[in-house]
Amino acid sequence: MSELFAYPDDREEASAAQVKALEALLIEKGVITGSTVDKVLGYFESEMTPLNGKKIVARAWVDPEFARLLATDTPKAIAQLDLPEGMAGAEGEHIAAVVNEPGVHNLVICSLCSCFPWPVLGLPPYWYKDPVFRARAAREPRVVLAELGVELDDDTEVRVWDSSGHSRWFVVPARPSGTEGWSEEQLAELVTTESMIGVALPGPAA
Amino acid sequence: MAIDISTLNYDETGHVKFHSSCSSDLEQPVFDAEWQRRAFGLAVALSEFGHYAWEDFQRELIAAIGSWQSAPDDEKGRWEYYRHWVTALDTVVRRHGLLEEGYVNPEDRD
Repeated sequence: MSELFAYPDDREEASAAQVKALEALLIEKGVITGSTVDKVLGYFESEMTPLNGKKIVARAWVDPEFARLLATDTPKAIAQLDLPEGMAGAEGEHIAAVVNEPGVHNLVICSLCSCFPWPVLGLPPYWYKDPVFRARAAREPRVVLAELGVELDDDTEVRVWDSSGHSRWFVVPARPSGTEGWSEEQLAELVTTESMIGVALPGPAA
Repeated sequence: MAIDISTLNYDETGHVKFHSSCSSDLEQPVFDAEWQRRAFGLAVALSEFGHYAWEDFQRELIAAIGSWQSAPDDEKGRWEYYRHWVTALDTVVRRHGLLEEGYVNPEDRD
């Protein structure tokens, strides 16, 4: 078999075996228990989802006082909402919101690895971790946004926020017009993960 | 394989594909394989239970990705995010002595 064809499958199997052996060793040595990893994964998969971010943005849209606090002390604002326990853990303590406003569009990337505000957005999509996205979004954000369908006026400033261990950014997009009188639940439906990264705008009100 | 960072590609449904292995479709599963999911959970669990600071893991992940990015194109291989994740996990476990004789869990320390 040529090396070209052998390589991906072999690598895949080697990685799987490496992870399995590591977990088994750590259990055997008493560092973790047999259920530790499943508990953590279950928590992430059920509680740490974009639903939290949608609720936060919807509240900011209806409550200017909350919006102000969200922009200045994001963890304190989030703590006011009835969200799952643990929002302040798993890097939640480093979460910071940036707000889109007339003339300013925010875009979040992580140029070094894949820092992401898990508690409010869940785990990042594939492309967020991709070297092409990371490199191009840092170098030519306006072009990348246009290619993704976010057409901005020439006089709209694009601010790129590079997430890191110190700050994990998410975007509070602008409330779509035509949503006057909508409930928070209805508004939350308009908010997408992509709009909270800054690569899309929330859907127009139907 | 060299990475072409000059253009974006589109799939047949019009979604952007930054790379052959990814698209902007958020409905795609976060993990390609169960080992990736367990590697994620293991790294987070060890940090959450105090065996190392998350920043220590991040530093190793950044280093692993950095050495991939600076490798010559013909040695790079394709982009596989969770390969770097596993490299970082392995390094941080070793550096913190989690598998060494005499390692004491944080909750059992004085």
